[in-house]
Amino acid sequence: MIRRELSYTRLDGLTTSIYVMTGLLVLRFLDLQVIRHSHYARAAERNRTQTIVQTAPRGRVYDRTGDLLATNQAAFSLVFLPGQIKDQDYLVQLSKDMAPYLKKNPGELLETFQESFVTGFPTRLAENLAPEVMFKLAELRTLYPGVDLVVEARRHYPHGNFASHLIGYIGSIDSKTWGRLRHRGEYRRDSRIGKAGLEKLFERELRGKDGGILLEVDAHGKLQGILRRMEWKPGMDVSLTIDGNLQRVAEESLRASHSQTGAVVVLDPRDGSILAMASVPDFDPNLFIVPQDEEVSARLRSLPEFNLAIQGTFSPGSTFKIVTAVAGLNEDRVSPGWKVRCPGYYQLGQRTFLCWEKKGHGEMNFLSGFSHSCDVYFYQFGLKTGADLIEQYERRFRFGMLTLSRDRQGFDRFSLPGEKKGLVFGPLERNRRNARWYDGDTLNLSIGQGELLVTPIQMANLIAVVSNGGSFWRPQFVERVVSQDGTEIYKRKPDLMGTVELRSETWELLHQALIKVTQEGTGRGVAIPGLEIGGKTGTAQNPHGEDHAWFVAYAGIPGQLPELAVAVLVEHGGHGAAAAVPVARKIIETAFKKKSHG
Amino acid sequence: MVEPIGSLGRGRSRRSRVDWLLVGAVTGLLILGSLAILSAIIPVPSHSHMIHKHLLAMVLGAVAFFFATGLHYQIYQEQWKLTYGLSIILLIAVLLFGETLRGSKAWFKIGFISFQPSELARIFLVVTLASFLSRRGSKIKSLGTILGVMGLSLPILFLIIKEPDFSSTFILFPVILAILFCAGANLLHLGFFLGCGFLGAVFTVLWVFFSIRSEWIESSSVVRYFMELSHPNVAFILTCLCIVGFSLLAWWFFVQLRIQIPWFYFVGMATAVIVGLILGNVMESQMKQYQRDRFVAFLDPGVDPRGAGYNSLQAQIAIGSGGFLGKGIFSGTQSQLGFVPERHTDFVLAVVGEEMGFLGNLLLLGLYLLLLGRIFQAARVAPDSFGYLLACGIGSMYACYFFINAGMSVGVVPVAGVPLPLVSYGGSNLVTTLWSLGIVESIYSRRYTFA
Repeated sequence: MIRRELSYTRLDGLTTSIYVMTGLLVLRFLDLQVIRHSHYARAAERNRTQTIVQTAPRGRVYDRTGDLLATNQAAFSLVFLPGQIKDQDYLVQLSKDMAPYLKKNPGELLETFQESFVTGFPTRLAENLAPEVMFKLAELRTLYPGVDLVVEARRHYPHGNFASHLIGYIGSIDSKTWGRLRHRGEYRRDSRIGKAGLEKLFERELRGKDGGILLEVDAHGKLQGILRRMEWKPGMDVSLTIDGNLQRVAEESLRASHSQTGAVVVLDPRDGSILAMASVPDFDPNLFIVPQDEEVSARLRSLPEFNLAIQGTFSPGSTFKIVTAVAGLNEDRVSPGWKVRCPGYYQLGQRTFLCWEKKGHGEMNFLSGFSHSCDVYFYQFGLKTGADLIEQYERRFRFGMLTLSRDRQGFDRFSLPGEKKGLVFGPLERNRRNARWYDGDTLNLSIGQGELLVTPIQMANLIAVVSNGGSFWRPQFVERVVSQDGTEIYKRKPDLMGTVELRSETWELLHQALIKVTQEGTGRGVAIPGLEIGGKTGTAQNPHGEDHAWFVAYAGIPGQLPELAVAVLVEHGGHGAAAAVPVARKIIETAFKKKSHG
Repeated sequence: MVEPIGSLGRGRSRRSRVDWLLVGAVTGLLILGSLAILSAIIPVPSHSHMIHKHLLAMVLGAVAFFFATGLHYQIYQEQWKLTYGLSIILLIAVLLFGETLRGSKAWFKIGFISFQPSELARIFLVVTLASFLSRRGSKIKSLGTILGVMGLSLPILFLIIKEPDFSSTFILFPVILAILFCAGANLLHLGFFLGCGFLGAVFTVLWVFFSIRSEWIESSSVVRYFMELSHPNVAFILTCLCIVGFSLLAWWFFVQLRIQIPWFYFVGMATAVIVGLILGNVMESQMKQYQRDRFVAFLDPGVDPRGAGYNSLQAQIAIGSGGFLGKGIFSGTQSQLGFVPERHTDFVLAVVGEEMGFLGNLLLLGLYLLLLGRIFQAARVAPDSFGYLLACGIGSMYACYFFINAGMSVGVVPVAGVPLPLVSYGGSNLVTTLWSLGIVESIYSRRYTFA
């Protein structure tokens, strides 16, 4: 059979090709199951698991008395588990049905659903549902596969508008930040992150480790069982140096002031801890957490995020006379007994410079000129001292520098972002800008007007330094950070930024002058029996409206180091004595009343 | 290849009538398959019902196997008209009275048992073709052989495609070609038909491929012209005329050069291209949307990972995640949680791969290779050309099923609804498969002409 011989060769060809193809199949199996096994194993694991994340409680924030300023509450959120629902119609229907409860528009909701499909991750549809909405949705949930309710920790600020500029707030991650954070693996797209103040500054510490429920789901997204519960790990607690009582009094009295805008900074001059930092208008950080409807969004858009205490720059007005006085006295340019007659104005060449007291103060020496804040006296005091010297002291008192930060740019772990440096004013600074300095500028500089700009915290720092005899303690607001297992991660240590060395006679005279202000001068309103209080009023001329009122003061028990340094600024408050002094008085009263009781 | 037992030259009495290796391979595959099926259908609510059906099918299959082993295979050659007629009648009957399941009118339902006549028809087609070809004798190389085979096959193919069951139809083409090849048909003729089929498929694939690349159509006039050809129109006729003209020109050119190339090469080539185009056109117009989607998903799996490409991707994930040793039977998450579609039927290999790992797959591949080797061994030792062709046909049929199914599971062949015989769940397929292997056994056991 010749033909059959030929056919066997063909059969051999066929079987050979079968061997080759089987060999190729083996290679393919080797590729899938051995070489790329881990890739597919991960894909299989992703397929079958879904995680419902439970946001961990953020660390709590306390004031120095142990009062809670920021804590957490249990909250219900609605999550969407994409599963394997492939049906577009279902999504459209779901978004339509859900929209009214969630106060969202259906199109937007549908977009969220679809995005969730692509990524395959559960998405948060709504957070912090009101109880009645939650109950309605709990009933609906059975009708809609893929939608579930989750309990989680939600940030809560028990006192609402309280130290809000300091504490800050949390919010959703913006896309720019997300681009930076996504690879770290600690955040999800829908995580909340500290956006301002302490919440932002201590994000790393405050943020806990989120927990969650790892679910096993089948191809239809149906829950098969719970694989694992991952416990959350709460964030670290932060204690502030803030004294809640002082902070509250400061905020309330600012709100009660007739312009309802202003700032207060209260420091402990002995170590620089910030006892109160108020800036009004302020906001309620809880607003960022409640479900966002139209009304809330509108309020958020006009949020007063500006922290006047560190970001507001103003002319220091007469409070600057402290610096002028120190410059003249310490360098012996002016003797304290030197007298000047104040007719209510001062003539320099063609120009007339007025005193705030139009009637004139009569004959003034240093103590009376300072305590009555006589401008005419200080015009001539300034001319005698010389603008160069005043500017030198201005710099020695660290004007034009950040107070909270050692870093020149403010990139400091413990400094609030956005602090302003203000503006130095003087012949040297003028020269640097290639402009001429006139004697008229000297007059303005002497009484704290002109181009000089300072922040309330700089003024608080100034009066603190004056009260403690020359030590620039860095203002600090974090007392300690404690992790959940009780370990102290950080404990505040007083931080000396620098000193101002003056002759002791200068200090004595200056203290005498400041005390005289509160006893018989412009700051009479602050005098409290049994306390030694030194202060200085100021009025910052405001070309755009009513003047801003300043008052800086320190207070202490006689014979002891002063315990309190206060700077008050009331925007558009008019004359310092009228608007700012009562605020300072209330704060000092509160501070020492509590002390005597306790 | 395993050394033919017949060539060992031992005494006849030492030679077994039964090919134990084949029986062993079949048993191994059935055990492996049953395990995979059991694991795959456990999550299905009606699994006890399915297990009963599977057990029943195995019993029936065993009966069919032994019956066919005992029956002399030459009966099929004598009765080929009966088997051929029976399969045509059954296929017509199923179109008239059949049950529709998943869009195909391919089932007879008789009480508890459902039966798929196309499964029977595929065996009968092989029987018919083997019978026809063995009777061709010395005329095997003529064109009539191929035309005869086509004439016999087309009614059956047409009836199966009417159900519609595309996968079962298309898998028969390579089987027919393989029988013709083994029978010693003229390679030129085979090449021609292969060329037609290949071109038809290539044109269709290219048209689908270009249709998902709209930017190519817009940017290139060549691509746009090519897309025009997917429907019978002026451009299509023009192109056909061009092809004819061009081949004439080429023939004339070679004549001028005094290079002797027979004219029918040119005619053949031109006809192949034109027939390929027409075939492509027919396929393009007959393709259903879901089939087009599967094509698209195969050509570009990234287009829609949750859509048509989903099945193939999930099967690959299942196989890949199984690793070397597998996740253990009943522990494959991909299979148990329903990510792998059709896991007890067409994608049973994914279950094996996931739960029994690379080793499980190697075992399955090895058993299949042994099975195919033994079938072809039966072909070698067959006492007559009918037995030889029958075994070749059956062997190449299972080779086709095997490679297309496995290729589909690992994502190198577009998703097609082709089961893995002996391993996949499916009663009709199992019974007819075992019956056909019984035929092979019958050939093997009668390898001595004087038996």
